[in-house]
Order: sequence, then C-alpha cells, then structure tokens
Amino acid sequence: MVTSTNPATGVDVQGGSLWSRAPYPVLIADLQGAIILVNEAAGALLPRARPGTPMTDAVPDWLSSAHAALRLPRQGAAAEPAVWSGRVGDRVFEAHPTVEDSGTVLWWLVDTTDHRLAEEALRRERERTAFLGRASNLLLSSLNLDRCTNVTAQMAAEHLADAALVIAPMRGNRLPIVTCLGDGNPVASSAIADPASVPGLVEALQGFPPVPTRWVDPRTVPDWVVPEGFGAPGSIVVTPLPGHGVPAGALILLRRADGPGFTPEEEVFARLFAARAGAAMSAARLYADQSAITDVLMRELLPPSLHQVSGVDFAGGYRPSEDHERIGGDFYDVHPAGTEGAPSLVVLGDVCGKGLEAAVLTGKIRNTLHALLPLADDHQRMLALLNMALLNSHHTRFATLVLASAVREGGSVRMRVTSAGHPPPLVVRATGEVEEADTRGTLIGAIPEVRADSADLFLAPGETCVLYTDGFTEARGGPMGDAMFGEERLRRVLAECAGMPAEGIVERIQMVAAQWVGTGRHDDMAVVVVSAPRSHHLSAVNGHTRGRFTA
Amino acid sequence: MSTELRSAPRRTADLEAALWDAVFAGDEYTATDLVQRALDDGADPESVLLDVIAPVQFKVGEEWAANRMTVAQEHAATAINDRAVAALSLHAASRTVAGRGRITVACVDGEWHALPARLLAEVLRLRGWRVDYLGAQVPVPHLIAHLHRTGPELVALSSSIATRLPTAHATITACQAVGVPVVVGGAAFGPGGRYAELLGADAWAPDARSAADRIQRDPLKRPVPGHQPIDDLPHLDDQEYTMVTRTRTSLVRAVMRGLDQGFPAMLRYSDLQRERTAEDVAHIVDFLATALYLDDADLFTDFIAWTAGILTARGVPAHSLPPALRLLAGELKDFPRATRLLRLGIDQLAAPSAHSVPARNHP
Amino acid sequence: MSTFPSSHLRLTAVDTETVVRIELLGDLDYDNADLLLDAATAKLAARPRLRELHLGCAGLGSIDSTGLSVLLMIRRRTDAANVLLRLEDRPPALDRLLTITGSLDHLTALPTGAARETSGPGESRADTEEAIPARPTGPDSSA
Repeated sequence: MVTSTNPATGVDVQGGSLWSRAPYPVLIADLQGAIILVNEAAGALLPRARPGTPMTDAVPDWLSSAHAALRLPRQGAAAEPAVWSGRVGDRVFEAHPTVEDSGTVLWWLVDTTDHRLAEEALRRERERTAFLGRASNLLLSSLNLDRCTNVTAQMAAEHLADAALVIAPMRGNRLPIVTCLGDGNPVASSAIADPASVPGLVEALQGFPPVPTRWVDPRTVPDWVVPEGFGAPGSIVVTPLPGHGVPAGALILLRRADGPGFTPEEEVFARLFAARAGAAMSAARLYADQSAITDVLMRELLPPSLHQVSGVDFAGGYRPSEDHERIGGDFYDVHPAGTEGAPSLVVLGDVCGKGLEAAVLTGKIRNTLHALLPLADDHQRMLALLNMALLNSHHTRFATLVLASAVREGGSVRMRVTSAGHPPPLVVRATGEVEEADTRGTLIGAIPEVRADSADLFLAPGETCVLYTDGFTEARGGPMGDAMFGEERLRRVLAECAGMPAEGIVERIQMVAAQWVGTGRHDDMAVVVVSAPRSHHLSAVNGHTRGRFTA
Repeated sequence: MSTELRSAPRRTADLEAALWDAVFAGDEYTATDLVQRALDDGADPESVLLDVIAPVQFKVGEEWAANRMTVAQEHAATAINDRAVAALSLHAASRTVAGRGRITVACVDGEWHALPARLLAEVLRLRGWRVDYLGAQVPVPHLIAHLHRTGPELVALSSSIATRLPTAHATITACQAVGVPVVVGGAAFGPGGRYAELLGADAWAPDARSAADRIQRDPLKRPVPGHQPIDDLPHLDDQEYTMVTRTRTSLVRAVMRGLDQGFPAMLRYSDLQRERTAEDVAHIVDFLATALYLDDADLFTDFIAWTAGILTARGVPAHSLPPALRLLAGELKDFPRATRLLRLGIDQLAAPSAHSVPARNHP
Repeated sequence: MSTFPSSHLRLTAVDTETVVRIELLGDLDYDNADLLLDAATAKLAARPRLRELHLGCAGLGSIDSTGLSVLLMIRRRTDAANVLLRLEDRPPALDRLLTITGSLDHLTALPTGAARETSGPGESRADTEEAIPARPTGPDSSA
C-alpha cells in the first residue's frame, strides 16, 4: 500500500500535485461524474481521461458505472466502500474508491492482472490435484479390470476431453475398446483393427519403452477412433497407459473441432492421469491373471459338491482353517461307481501341515487314489500302494484318511469303511444311537509298513455314516472359551440328527462347530455324510425315477 | 410318509399346506415332487418360491421358537426346502436367459440361515440377472476377492441374526470400498430395516420380491470411496463395544461363578445344563455387545424378552436370567451405556408381558 | 540347569556318553515342532556313540500332525543311527493320537536295524546338562 496521506482525513483536492507522482493510477471525479484530477499513471493508462471530461467518456463502462453507483444517496456515511474490478485494455484492475463528504470520489486503480493469473493457476492446480486424488481413489478401490477401464474412460471423458477411448492390448486380432462420450456411460466394444493405423498407438500399447503423448492429425485417423455421433474431431492425442512391466493399454482423447484444442499443460496433465490409470489397470490385470490361475488350482484342490449317486446320498462340507489359506490340509472326494451295482468310493483325509506343502501332498494323494480306482474294492491294497507312492526319504509328512465304499442294496446301503490312521467314522442309527465304526489302521506316507482293518456296515433307510476330520473334535471354544469340542459333543449333535437328510446333517455339524469356535482360530474341518435315503420314493413315483432328485 | 400324487394342488395356499406337511414330516421326495408337479401344471416359478416355499420356511422358524420342532428337525426341514428350491431351479419352467447384469448374493460371515439368500438368488436368476450365489457364512476376504474378480453391479447381503450386525457393517463397508453398492435384507436388520441405514447400506428390502423389484427399478449408484465406517457410529468412541467383545469369555466365566455362588439351583445342574446356561450367558453378552455397537436399547431388551419366551416355551423357568443380568451389570459397572442396557433388560423381565416371542432376529 | 524359553516349546537336554534325554515342555506343533527335530538331529550327529534317545513327554502340551511328523522323522533318524528311541512319560493325549494314527507300535518298537543290547538306566551318567537354544546352529536337518 502506497499512501502518504490518509484519505479519510481529507485530501487536498485542489493541490493535486500530491497525487501526480503516485505510482498507482489515481482518478478524482466529482458528484456529477466529471473528472477533476488524473495523475501521471492514470493518464498513461486512460489517455482520454482529462480534468473536466465526464467519466463516461474517459473510462471503461465498469468504472463509470461504479462511480454512478457511488453517487446514489448512501445509507450512512460510514458504509463500507466497495471494490470494483474490470479490464482496462488487456489488463485487469481493481478500483478502490474513497468518498469525500462532498460526494467527490478518489479512485485508486490497482493492477491485479498477475495476481489474478496466479489465483487462476492455483485454482486449476487445486482442481487437478482433487481430480487426480479422486481418480486414484476410484481406480485403486477396485481390482476388477473392466471396472478400472470404465472408470478411466469415464473420468477422462468428463475432465480431459469431449470423448475418450481406452484401448487394451490386442486380444487375438481384435482390439478391445471402451469408449465414453462427455458425461455419458462407458461402452465396451472391440474392433478388428490394426493399431498401426493410428500413429503412436502401437508404441503406446507395447508399454515399453516409455513413449511421449502423440498429437494425431484428426484427418488421418481411421473411423473406429471417432465415436458414433461425436462429429468432427478437432484434436486428438494418444497417451500410453504405463503398466509397470505389463502393457496396460492406451488412452485416446478427442476434442471437437468447434471447441478449444489441448494446451501443452493439459497434455501434461493427461499424462499424469494416464499414469495413475495405467498403474491401476495393470494391477487389476495381474490380479485377474493370478486369480484365474488360482481358480484353476482351486477347482482341482477344493472338494467337489456332492449329490446322490446310484441311490446313495452324499453330502460334504469343508471349512478351511484361515481365511487367507484357502487350500488347507483336509480333503474329500467321491468317485462314483464305474459300473451299475458296484460301490462308489468316498475318500476323506487330513494331510499333515498346511499351506502349499500340504496342498501339494493333497493333490498327490487325490491323483494317486484316482489312478488306483480299479482296485477300489480292496482298501488294504489301495492303502499299501498309496503308502508306497507317498513314502519319501526327505520328509515324514503323512496323511490320515478314511476310505468308504458304499452301494445301494434294496432300500439300504452296504458300506465298507477303512481308517488309515484317521478317527473312525460314526454311524447314526435311525434310533438316534451313534456307533463308532470298528476300523483301525496306520497313517499313510511316513512308515514303510502299513496295515488297516476294515469294518463292514449296513445302513437302513434314513441311517447315516459320518466321516470327519479332527478339526471338528479338536476345535477349541464354547461359551467358556477354551473347551475342546470333543467326540462326545460330536456324538451328541449327531444323535439329534437321526433321520435327517445328508445335507442337513452336514450343515448342522458345521454350524454347531462354527458357533463353538466363534471368532477363535481353528483347524480345517471337513465332513462327508453318506446316507441311505429315507424314503422308498425312488421307485414309487411313476415316471420320476430318473435322477431328478439330485441337487 | 409319502403319498402318491397325480398333480399338485392348484391353489397356492393348498400347495403351501401340502409342502409344509412334507417338510414337517422330513419327506424330501414328496416336497420336491410337489414343486415339480406345480411347475409342470404351469405355476409361476417365482410365485412358488416366494408364496409357497418362503412361507413354509418362515413357519419352520416359528415352530422351532414354539418348541414344536427340534433344532435338528429345523435343519432337516430347511434342507428339504433347499432341495425344493434346487428342484425348482432345475425345472424347465425356470430356464431363463441372463439378459441383465451380474449380482453377487451372499450371507454375512457367521450366518447359517442361507435359504432367504438362496430364494433371492433364484428370484433374481428368474428375472434374468446373472447371479453368483456364494451361500452361507461367507468370509469377507472371500467376498471381496470375488467382487474384484467378477465386478458385479451390486452385492445382496443377507443376515438373520442380529449379533452378526457388526460383521455385516464391516462387510458392507468393504464392498463399498471396492466400489460395489450393497443391498441388505434379513431379520437382523431390524423392524423396517432400521439398522440397514445406520450401517450405511445402499438399500434395504423386507423380502426377496421387494429386493428384486428395488434392484430392477433403480440401479444402485456406485459408492464413493473414502467413507470412514466410524462416522456411521460415533458412539463407538467410548470403546464399550470393544471392551465387552474382547472380554466376552471372562465375562461369561464371572457370571457363571456368580451364579454358582448365588443361585442354588445351579448346584443341581448337569454338565450339559451348565453348558447350556453358559451358552445363554454368552448370547446375552453377544447381544449386549451388538446393542452397544448400534447404540440401540430395543435390540437388547427384545432379545431378553425373546430369550425368556423361548425358555418358557421349553419348560425352563427363566429364573436365572435376572441374576445373570445383575452379575453382568456388576462386572460392567464402569461402563455407563452397558449398565443402562442391563438395567433396561432387568426391567423388561420384571414387566408382565415379558414372555412374548417377538420377531425373530435371534439364533 | 537353565532353560531358554521358545514361544511354546522348551527343550531341556541331559546328556551322557550313550544316552541323551530331551525333556519337552509345551506344545509340539506346526509352529515349533522343528525345534525338536533340530535338537534331536544335532544330538545324533554330535554323539556317534549314542545308544538311546529318550524324549521326556510328561510336560508335552498339545501335539498336532506336524508334531507327529517330527516324531516319525526322529524315529527314522534314530533307526538309521541304530539308536533306540524312547517316548517316555507319555500323556494320554499323545497315546490317543499315536493309537488313532496307528503309529504307536512303530514309534515304540525296537530299532529296525538289529535287536541290540540297550543300556540300562544305571549306566547313564549325567556328564552334561544343558538347555537347548531356541535355534540350534547345527547342520540343516529339516530335509
């Protein structure tokens, strides 16, 4: 602020020399709007402003209107003086009035052009930072590739251009494209197109080496680049979506011919956005690849969903130990009989250890047993061969398992069960009595010589044989927090399940055990239930004997 | 029990009654047969799901609460209903083309009552959505991994037990954090879905039909990331919920000790009866914690009334409830919100109408 | 006699020329069973004249499948070294596990190599008593 005199105490209007050398333009005009004084700076700025000239003739409209507004009768002498602002030539000025009691007004003009520009730049910068922050939030919240791609196209179309295309790396001979217009919704499509037809696109799609944004002559691009209903593009840029070693794709931005083109600053900004989008998309692509691989592995390793096979009901349930280790040490399989009237084979087992090592052993056991299926009638032989296949001089990781052959005989089911170092199956009679199958044997895979005694069982309609792993019986919890679930409790639960359908029993056991452990840690829990169907209905309903009751 | 059926009853109410008989008798073949024949005769699959199977399932819960069915029978009935749903979904009449978007249907972790979610999944499938039904008891990491992989338009989340609500809240927040909106349903969310909004769900529906209508009518908006769950429930700042949850086991033990000393009847209890009593006490603590989480006294007093009603229905006098609540109040005397809830619970038991059985959002 | 605590399993060894006794205190499970394997393997390697390895199980807490796997591996190594393995003072839970898994006979049988004279308790003279550090520095013995 450059003042040597306090204007509020009165200004020597007539002795204008005081103002003439002031570094700010100063203009004094009277109540009627006639200019009284113009200092040197004001004279240079407003060449037509001379003492005696009306304001309306000498200054821009915004300033003469301001002067007129001030001349209107005021509410009180102490009213706050306002500040006006407007352009003078190509500069922007603020005009600060000081009003004398006589109605004479002294106008200070302050050049705020640079200040304005700085403010504007700051505002844009803040907007962009906020936009990039929002983009990061949206993009990083999802690991779904389609969603990341859509968000990228949509945000780019909303904030960077009139339309945006996200091009993914080629799939076969097709170029996957997501297009978004203005504030519309992203649309996925694919084009049989040669990326080389758009300058810079091939390089951008390769993702490496890093390439700069390319300006593309709108007249040279193929039709598929311009979205339907867009009109004539005025400018087009191609920006790579950098993918951290994985090609993520490219972003094409279009602006219409009748609007402004891209400034270099905007292009830099688009690149910043593309960097974030590319990172998010490549993370999503890696996640999708990995989860696809895991899915395949899971399908191999996770227990199958069971159903009725040849008149015998099977149901199974599996609850892995920790959420992040989905492949645990327990497993089960049902191998349907190869021929009519032959038994189906159920295998339920528990592999020592956990994580990947356990999963590898589980896979080996399941594969080996599958190969040994022709011997399914001879449990001892199967177990001996499996043991030989698993014996390994480097470790003593072992498995315990139960083999159970089951075949329908009339309304009943005949079973042979063999435990290889595993808790013997429990049989739930129709009366609610729970019996332990009389079978004992050696664990598999660590001791050269194994032996096992089988038990023969007979399930009347509605009766059930339950194969389980010790994850149930050894689960700790309960209302007091540290009690073992134990075999007694399992038997008590099963006694209540007499006559229930196989799925219901599995669900019941799993639910009671899950409530028992609560939020505590627990081991894998696997259970397979083999039931003789309760009803004779399979043959009783005309025309409905085909396997339509399988769930 | 099985009867030979030439055709299923025509009227919905008759079909429901016939299905109920089959389900109550544990006769899955008659149950699935009824459903298939009804569809053969031209019944609308959605109507069979929602006007026949759903009411039968509701009745199963009622019968259990009234002690006319054992827990095991309840499971059996539910399994049979589940088979009936499976039979329906395999029937030619239920074949649809998935022309709409993709939806994930799941139960909150710890939730075993999967049938309501399954019914919704089937209804959505019938209406042309592509549905991933994840079933009961879905751990949050599994659900989120599934969302990343499949990128559905929304998640439909079911919970029937109120004590799962804190987990439901964590699940809702996690889904929204990955940009997927959540519609919730099930008895846990309280009368009129009052807890759904509190926990930040994007929508609530009282039943499968209105959920499907709601989803169809107006697509749920993608949630904006950056939401902080603590903002939903500022009262959690006092840590009372955390404290009660963390000391659950020692609270149960303290109450059991107190009952041993001050409640002579306990001395004659068998081990099994003692374990049941400890389970009841643990349930009280769980509901207390949930009521603290939601800052909702009704949730606790309703549960106390319900427990008293259930015990009475089973011929077990609820004498041990007031001392148990008083013992808990003694343990938690430094926690004003918990103390107030327990006092309200004690008052509830003293009130003459305490033993009615209100709507079920309890185990 | 001093002991070094590990997270859940503490081992204390009492050695003579021909007999080593390792006392187990705590859980033998996935998290720390390899501690016992390392210790037993180190003893076998360090004492060529060893005749008997005694595992004192009175203080054994819970044992899981990895724990049993380690016992089986120790048995394999004592057999190879022609050393008698004894699982002493077995708590009922251990016996139960060994019975169900059918491994009791194998783990308690005489060495498979040859029937050999075993040293009686009178022969053993405690010439060293030491605690086994949480992570023995012996050769890698996990494979």
